[in-house]
Amino acid sequence: MTIQTKNKLNYVDTIGFGADVGGRGFHIPVDLSIRPDGRIFAVNRSPMHRLGIRVGICDVHHGWYHEFGSDGTGDGQFVSPTAITHGPDDRVYIADEELNRITVYTPDGEFIAKWGEPGSDPGQISGPASLKFTLNGDLLLVDHLNNRIQRLTPNGDYISHFGFAGTGEGEFNLPWGIDTDVNDNIYVADWRNDRIQRFANDGTFIDQYGTSGREQGQLDRPSDVAVDQDGFIYVADWGNQRVQMFDSNWNFQQSVRGAATVSPWAQEYMNANADEAEARTRFDSFIEVDATEPHEISSRVESYLWDPTAIEIDPEGRLIITDSLRHRLQVYQRSNE
Amino acid sequence: MTTTETRTDELLIAHLLRRAGFGGTADELRKYSQFDYEDAVDQFLNAIDSTALPQDLIRRYHIDQSDLRTRGSSAGNWLYQMVTTDAPFIEKMNLFWHRVFATGQTKLIQGKAMSTHLDMLRANGLGKFDNLLLALSKDPAMILWLDNQDNHKDSINENYGREILELFSMGVGNYTEEDIKECSRAFTGWTVANTDYMALKMRNNTMRPYGYVNWQFKFDPDDHDDGEKTFLGESGNFNGEDIIAIICKNPATAGFIARHLYHYFVADELPVPQWSHFPPLNPKAIEVMTHAYFESGHSIKAMLRALFLSDSFKSPSAWNARVKSPIELVAGTVRLAGGYDYPTSDVYSHIAASGYMGQDIYAPPSVEGWMGGADWISTGSMVMRINFAGEIVGNLESKGVKEMVSTIRLAAGNFPTPDSLVNASLASLGSLQVGDDTFNGLKDYVNNVIPSPSPNVKYEGTSNIPDEAIASLLQLIVATREYQFV
Repeated sequence: MTIQTKNKLNYVDTIGFGADVGGRGFHIPVDLSIRPDGRIFAVNRSPMHRLGIRVGICDVHHGWYHEFGSDGTGDGQFVSPTAITHGPDDRVYIADEELNRITVYTPDGEFIAKWGEPGSDPGQISGPASLKFTLNGDLLLVDHLNNRIQRLTPNGDYISHFGFAGTGEGEFNLPWGIDTDVNDNIYVADWRNDRIQRFANDGTFIDQYGTSGREQGQLDRPSDVAVDQDGFIYVADWGNQRVQMFDSNWNFQQSVRGAATVSPWAQEYMNANADEAEARTRFDSFIEVDATEPHEISSRVESYLWDPTAIEIDPEGRLIITDSLRHRLQVYQRSNE
Repeated sequence: MTTTETRTDELLIAHLLRRAGFGGTADELRKYSQFDYEDAVDQFLNAIDSTALPQDLIRRYHIDQSDLRTRGSSAGNWLYQMVTTDAPFIEKMNLFWHRVFATGQTKLIQGKAMSTHLDMLRANGLGKFDNLLLALSKDPAMILWLDNQDNHKDSINENYGREILELFSMGVGNYTEEDIKECSRAFTGWTVANTDYMALKMRNNTMRPYGYVNWQFKFDPDDHDDGEKTFLGESGNFNGEDIIAIICKNPATAGFIARHLYHYFVADELPVPQWSHFPPLNPKAIEVMTHAYFESGHSIKAMLRALFLSDSFKSPSAWNARVKSPIELVAGTVRLAGGYDYPTSDVYSHIAASGYMGQDIYAPPSVEGWMGGADWISTGSMVMRINFAGEIVGNLESKGVKEMVSTIRLAAGNFPTPDSLVNASLASLGSLQVGDDTFNGLKDYVNNVIPSPSPNVKYEGTSNIPDEAIASLLQLIVATREYQFV
């Protein structure tokens, strides 16, 4: 007898709040990396508030640890950070698409090294958009303006690459996020082709998923992809302002639009600002919106995701979403019913 | 058609592209010069954008232009539209309405509301004036700009009721103080969703906890005064829509909007507060447009078509007779130099430059917008204007400038003379016309600088002239008096 189960993505919690000049909180977090101990490292882009550019470290229980990095071109600094990941050695790697360089830090955020040379030759980079280590410790770098994925050593030495500009299998149009599954297959969010491509670990094309549109299961400019231990695939459907879940055969399971609540940090802010707390008692986050474009809708509904740029799975199987323009993380978890 | 007439039409079309657009690039001048003037006007008025840089690209690389929190972000986003569109008339009209319906991020704080306001202008700015005025009255930026969220059934706030009559439609002298009160009563209950929280967040100017929430119009029937009102001699249980219908059928409205259009597209009028005391500069032009307004069922586009085909607009005495506003100078120069083909941080320094020259987009100095005219020119702003334009057209790293230089080489011919080089350069800058003194000065420059760097070197063709020399000629031209005019 076969038991049919329905996989459901449930809202769990909201972490953080806006902090555009540093300190506890986030300002336009665009990527995150989660250590095996569950600590979340979120890198904040904060382009118009340069004090907000940094990495903030927290956990799903609203613990705040510290921050590191700042705006600039010196050692340990970044200008336009796009991606963060942890290496097998627990080092932290951050990509900067403006400086075309990768900076390496200790787990505490102390500068170790930097590398990267702009260009299109093998090993050179143009617009690093995402980072991911393979099971054997190679670094996959989404070299997005060169429309390719480069495989590098942790020190930045070139090993190989695959992909070039186009719309066919194994070709890319400004790719963005990347992830691997338990078998070390590679998944790439092929942003402007509105699809996710799956490759074997050596870069051989396996399959692809995605048609352009707003219907369930369709994609509009996917910015990131994550795969959990059971092979479920999550896509940050950036243009549609949602996250979609598929099984390993690309069967659509569910999409979520966001359901953020007032986090403890946000509540502390309210407690310290009585006028806002009082006015907020009459605030309805879920107003009926008289617009149809997802980005516009998200701008008016505070609880919805607004530019969900990056997604990661934590050690407990929770899905953590960088809700970039709302300066917070939304947490979901899959269940079987 | 004779050659002389063809040339006249080309110059007239260049005038149209300067006034109704941001100045014609070589491609635009070629495109519209295929038509006679009247057809070119129709083509230009009805153009639909097909080239603006896609918003998804902009938002990926400038994520600040996704939430549009800061004024640099929202104004920069508009500059992208001005520079990259192939329907520049629409953006020029948006600037026109931004001057008339002057709202500012200085008070509203969040740029997304300004951007939504711009979308409203883009959707309604050329259609029936009734629809524009209705959309304006429901526009959240306008509601909070003029405090209509504080306009209640049992305690009116007449800020919007006064300005819709004084500044947005009829002008002083065409209504009474009682009309203002009755008008305000009709707009009670026109507010935004989550009124209290949104107004407080604007006043407190804080993005915490989760960034700004974009506003949305809300009609609150419980706070609306649906009693009888008497407005401009008519009585009834008027709501805002009824008031707008009465306003738009009034001849004073047609005349007021026509005067604004003349002020912006033909010649500088007196400042708006003086309009009730002095007649228009050109009553005939106003009459042509008011006629078109009523003939067309209150169409703004019909008024403009009538204006652009009128002798007052076409007369050579009107050409190059208005001082370019800073944003016209910035957007126009960047367009001439090839525009933006990919998101670039240059857009922020360019929009900031407009501010340094005296025009901060989305931050007009008052509800009456910018005065314009000679006010744009001061010692400081003149230096800024020349430096900005010179830097743009002198940047040989730019693909667009390189193309301009190539076009000039081709147009100047194999055996260039100072005349042909200057003429080719003027043509590449939107068929700019200059006076004899300026022309001779430019020729002197060519004679002194370009012919040969040493007595033993002779340039036998334009290919031997260094790019830098042609670029420096362009820099000299944008520093002329004539380039400051539109």
